[in-house]
Amino acid sequence: MNEAIAPLLGIDVADVSDFGMTVPADKHFALATLLKTSGYGLYVSVIATHFTEQKKSRKVPEPVPEHFQVATVLRKPVKGAALSFSWKVKLDVGQPIDSLVSLFAGADWQEREQYDLVGVTFANHPDLRRLMMPDDWEGHPLRRDYAIDTPHHPWR
Amino acid sequence: MPLDAPEVPGMSGRALTPMFRPDPYLDLTDYEADADLMVLNLGPQHPSTHGVFRIKLVLDGEVIIKAVGYPGYLHRGVEKLCEKLTYSNITPIVDKNDYISPMINEQAVNMAFEAAAGIEVPRRGRWIRTLLAEIQRVASHLIAMGTFTLDIGGAIGGGASMFMWAFRDREMILDLFEDLSGCRFHYNTSCVGGQRHDITTGWEKRAVEVLSIIESRIPEYERFMSENPIFVARTRHIGVLSRDLALELGLGGPIGRASGVDVDLRRDAPYHCYDELDVRVPVMTAGDNEARFLVRVAEVKESIRLAKQLCEGVPEGPICGAKPNIGPATIKIKTGEVYVGVEGPRGELGHYLIAGGPGGKPTMPYRLKIRPPSLHALQCIPYLLPGNNLSDAIAILGSLDPVMGEVDR
Repeated sequence: MNEAIAPLLGIDVADVSDFGMTVPADKHFALATLLKTSGYGLYVSVIATHFTEQKKSRKVPEPVPEHFQVATVLRKPVKGAALSFSWKVKLDVGQPIDSLVSLFAGADWQEREQYDLVGVTFANHPDLRRLMMPDDWEGHPLRRDYAIDTPHHPWR
Repeated sequence: MPLDAPEVPGMSGRALTPMFRPDPYLDLTDYEADADLMVLNLGPQHPSTHGVFRIKLVLDGEVIIKAVGYPGYLHRGVEKLCEKLTYSNITPIVDKNDYISPMINEQAVNMAFEAAAGIEVPRRGRWIRTLLAEIQRVASHLIAMGTFTLDIGGAIGGGASMFMWAFRDREMILDLFEDLSGCRFHYNTSCVGGQRHDITTGWEKRAVEVLSIIESRIPEYERFMSENPIFVARTRHIGVLSRDLALELGLGGPIGRASGVDVDLRRDAPYHCYDELDVRVPVMTAGDNEARFLVRVAEVKESIRLAKQLCEGVPEGPICGAKPNIGPATIKIKTGEVYVGVEGPRGELGHYLIAGGPGGKPTMPYRLKIRPPSLHALQCIPYLLPGNNLSDAIAILGSLDPVMGEVDR
């Protein structure tokens, strides 16, 4: 398994881990395809996170620009050992990520939810609309800089 | 333990419809030009949607050709709220997500915090959690069985008798939990590190009595339902979900196991005390409404067996591995990222936690994503409904047993 992933990403076999590995955005779809054909066919979840800009300070040794992170979790349904595989993709502001709907039908609503709440765009998604919030909502509520008391239009 | 649908004398059963995958993005202009289509709006305030869920149905005669689901009417922003609360304050909030099985919700979220903070739960704490989770699973599946019959409705005497029986049995379990934690629904009895309330003297004995009463009634329910020709006619070969589609949609749990996805995190990725138990997982291959019902019945029997076994030898020792959470900010996690999934009554209930990090606080999550099994279950709607009659839509929705509180969060 790890031997097949390493050449795809161009890294050492020892550096492949099944949790928390960061993958370039253009390898995201290829990695998901490889995992699906290797038996990781159970789609678990997609998690988008917004990271605000951090200036260099005593607590933050390296300045961090504003960016997004999309983590994907897949599972291999093996009797006796349900292995999971999770990887992360770092995105700049406005950068899209490939949608996995063509591989996993269940990615449809999950990606719509993350687009709705966090504001990450999924390229090649067949039906990218808001899922939870009303269609005319402004902003993406789960961003870190979206205050809870942001004024909004009353419910339709 | 492979199960198969019991053969019912006098019922020949319907011919199995070929498994095809409907197109959820069907463009109606491509459909027959002279067809007289009707758009029917089901919900959001419809009693059969188990909460507030809206489905837009496109009908050709009485046959559904397209179904579009619209969740979000119960969206309360739980994930946003969790970013503003300390770790010990989150437990009572997640209780309200899956309000049919709150005990498993609060255990799942606390397991994620424990994994990130590196806190170990003592054996007695884990044992009690296992016991409570299994009893909660019985209560949750009873509700699923009862509401499913209510959805099928008139054919079996309104379905109300099974509904009432299920609620009567569940009430005994709620009484047990009330004795333990003081609350009927939203227990708040798990905390980071273990349990807040210890079981009292004689509680196990009462639990065994209650479980024995329920166990003795299960065959009666089974006879009432799965041997009833009308019930079989409404459920067998209706809403067939193939194994491939179940995997793609991310369905473990009773729905996936009714379609042949042989995965159960209690057996395959043991947490709590499940590695000390022999969990037998019922799996069926039919994938229709009836299989989903029968898998739930088999799981109730299995959970009762496990819970009785757990009542036997509760180990001695402490129940919490961390300092008592008296102040709101006693739990601190500097940085960390974990995904923890547990087997809820509806499938894999997961929590993805990003703690601390630049810009975050050590006392609050930076991001907490809840992976609700019901949201994945409802994604079946565009695939299962097309090709069926309108009356079957309600039965299929009932067999998925969604809880809208965790779908919308």
